[in-house]
Amino acid sequence: MASTSTGLEGTTGAMTLTHVNVPPAQTWNYLKIDQIALSVPVPASAGTVPTRLPRLFSRIGAGVGAEAVSWVEAATGDSRYVEVPRGTVREDPIVLSCDADAGEVRDSGVMVRGGATATIVVVSHGSGDSDGDAPLSPTPVATSANLVRVYAEKGATVHLVEVVAMGDERQHLEGIGLAAEDGARVDARQYLLGGGRVAVGFEADLAGDAATLNLDSRYIVRHHEVLDVNHAVLQRGERTRCDIQTSGVLADAGQKTMRETIDLRHGGHGSKGNERETVLVTGDDIVNRTLPVILCDEDDVAGNHGASIGSVSPEQMTYLADRGLSDGEAEALFARALFDDAVIHAPEQQSLAAVLDRAATVVGDDMAHDLASGLGIEPASADDPKEE
Amino acid sequence: MADEKDRVTTRPEVDERGRSKVQDVDRSLYDFVKSEEGYERYADGLTPDIVRSISAKKDEPDWMLKMRLEALERFHDIDMAPNWGPDTSGLNMDDISTYVSPKTKQARDWNDVPADIKDTFERLGIPQAERDSLAGVGAQYDSEIVYHNMREEVAKQGVVYTTIEDAIHDPQWEPVVRKYFGTLIPMTDHKFAALHYAVWSGGSFVYVPEGVSLDYPLQSYFRLNASGAGQFEHTLIVVEPGANLHFIEGCSAPKYYEANLHAGAVELFVGDGARLRYSTIENWSKNMYNLNTKRARVGADATMEWVSGSFGSHVSYLYPTTILQGDRSVCEYTGITFSGANQDLDTGCKVILNGRDTRASMSAKSISKDGGVNTFRSSVVVGRHADNARCTVSCQSLMLDDISRSDTIPAMDVRNRTASVGHEATIGRISDDTILYLMSRGCSEEEARTMVVNGFANPVSKELPLEYAVEMNNLIKLEMEGAIG
Repeated sequence: MASTSTGLEGTTGAMTLTHVNVPPAQTWNYLKIDQIALSVPVPASAGTVPTRLPRLFSRIGAGVGAEAVSWVEAATGDSRYVEVPRGTVREDPIVLSCDADAGEVRDSGVMVRGGATATIVVVSHGSGDSDGDAPLSPTPVATSANLVRVYAEKGATVHLVEVVAMGDERQHLEGIGLAAEDGARVDARQYLLGGGRVAVGFEADLAGDAATLNLDSRYIVRHHEVLDVNHAVLQRGERTRCDIQTSGVLADAGQKTMRETIDLRHGGHGSKGNERETVLVTGDDIVNRTLPVILCDEDDVAGNHGASIGSVSPEQMTYLADRGLSDGEAEALFARALFDDAVIHAPEQQSLAAVLDRAATVVGDDMAHDLASGLGIEPASADDPKEE
Repeated sequence: MADEKDRVTTRPEVDERGRSKVQDVDRSLYDFVKSEEGYERYADGLTPDIVRSISAKKDEPDWMLKMRLEALERFHDIDMAPNWGPDTSGLNMDDISTYVSPKTKQARDWNDVPADIKDTFERLGIPQAERDSLAGVGAQYDSEIVYHNMREEVAKQGVVYTTIEDAIHDPQWEPVVRKYFGTLIPMTDHKFAALHYAVWSGGSFVYVPEGVSLDYPLQSYFRLNASGAGQFEHTLIVVEPGANLHFIEGCSAPKYYEANLHAGAVELFVGDGARLRYSTIENWSKNMYNLNTKRARVGADATMEWVSGSFGSHVSYLYPTTILQGDRSVCEYTGITFSGANQDLDTGCKVILNGRDTRASMSAKSISKDGGVNTFRSSVVVGRHADNARCTVSCQSLMLDDISRSDTIPAMDVRNRTASVGHEATIGRISDDTILYLMSRGCSEEEARTMVVNGFANPVSKELPLEYAVEMNNLIKLEMEGAIG
């Protein structure tokens, strides 16, 4: 169902969300890694009665925390609810977009019934790029939010593609929540391609036996952008599987915080959780925080995590220089590879347009054109979307 | 038939999932109590008068009393972090005596130590260890050092190994203590660091002159005999440039139902090109709140090595911290934590890489059983100027049953593009295939599991001197008796 309001028009003043992206297990507070605070507009309290999601969705966490979810629910207009009938295969992707330039705040719920298959595309896009030289303003030009909660019933299959692509004058809050019953499978790809201050939560509750989550998360953080991510997976069912692969590029004075938690709960016999982050650092003034956590109160499980943080080695740079690439060009290749991957996996026009728009800003128009023509497509504008 | 009967009676109790139940541990080696009759014991609780009394008892200079009183205020000002760490609500300072002392003077000969105290340390094997393999020994009983001695040839090299109290009263060393004391671990560090500075008593001062290398370790052993008491020793070690020292500390206490508290502090200063290995076998009783703080600052081309075995305590917060300040400085941490019933051990390490070309390597292992909780917590901070810094952290956790818990919470904060930081962690149980393989070679299931756990702990025990490795392996054996998880 289409929304009739995006929520933040007519807001008065600002408020601070102090506990956004709080991981399930925290650590020394002086490290400032346990949460991020966001200054957001106070939701208007006009006497309207917007459409709300079914109560079921309130039980699904979205990684951003209860305070942020409450703000979204207060600030949004009508919520969007989509249901995929039992046993069906939905061919058209469900597109849940958010226009950051307009400061939209969206709240969506998707029910994928037993045995059904669906592709969900979450696109949060916007422009608003500064020259990148100055640190971020403490009062961002625009704040947007996109909250999506998905309930996958027994045997359901969900393909989720998430794109966050906007300029560094935008502040964005994004939360993805998943609940998976027995045998449900979620394959998610997350592309975090830009935004001045972006907080992304991703929480999955693998409550059913043999529920599976594969999350492939890619990001690029540049200029003075701040990216704050909280991935949390709760493995409660027996023989659940979780595999999180995260990789990204940290350039200029970009700041990134990545929290990844695998929580292997008592009773989840035979479950396995795996997480890995690889960070390529190309900036001299970066801040790179990582908190990869495994919580475990069951012996019949296996949990692994790894993190690798580093730059391109001098040997690799020499190899590329021998082939005529400067340091800057070589590092741009890594950024291009990330956009290449995003373009290949964008399942429909709107996400594709958002990626290509952002690619034009980050790696240049020529490279963005190459990306598009490599797929034999003409880039379309993200401002002209077709939406659920 | 007799063989059959024996087999039945020795077979461990098995739970519904086919695993044998873990039995209680025989800790009689450590769980013996000596009478406190005739001891000097200050009133429970924490007041300025008690702090003044401790200072007066030690005839301290004014600067130390001022520090104590300021620390007491900080203790009341600082709260425990509400969002992480084991529960310390069972610890009530109103029920803790911060100073308990046997009425004896510090001895340099075991024969001069009171019989009951000497018996304690003999049962723990300290005099034997001194004779066999140590360059010097300090033994603390409750709040005071009761024995301190060092080999003559070591003293002739200019090495100083004495109590902090004696160093403060020595005109030669008082300025050194004043220069370093409380600078690496500030009293504002956390609530129990503040408490430590308010009521510290005992501990060691070690000074190793430039270029001096000790062939044998120095050892301090801390025994807390009193019930409802705290031990707050301060260890200050200065290893001058090019010097080399291995320092060992051991800790134990009998078990009481009342909470005991250990809030010591260890400050280590490792000069340029020096090397310091600090080994700990901690086996506090399981009513102990072990809120200890250890920190080292390492100069250029110097090496700091931590070897840590944690077996005891009811609650532990313990994270040896290394500041790699000098270029090309190195830190290695090797630790194992064994958590059983009624234990919540939050341990790990921190390293701050500030110098160029610094290296840090941290390897931690943990074993959880009987409902014990292990948390490995670490932080790696790479500063902006730490060009080419390298750090690896490895954490392996073994779960022996499904009522225990093991968490891994490593944090990394990297601010230099040329740095390389890696972290690996695994949590799992002993594979059935491994046990089956060993049993097919004639081991009982219990032997097989103990063998696997010993192998798991081997990277830590091999870093210890032989006699301590044996002690650690014995502790593991004690913990594993009947522990077919």
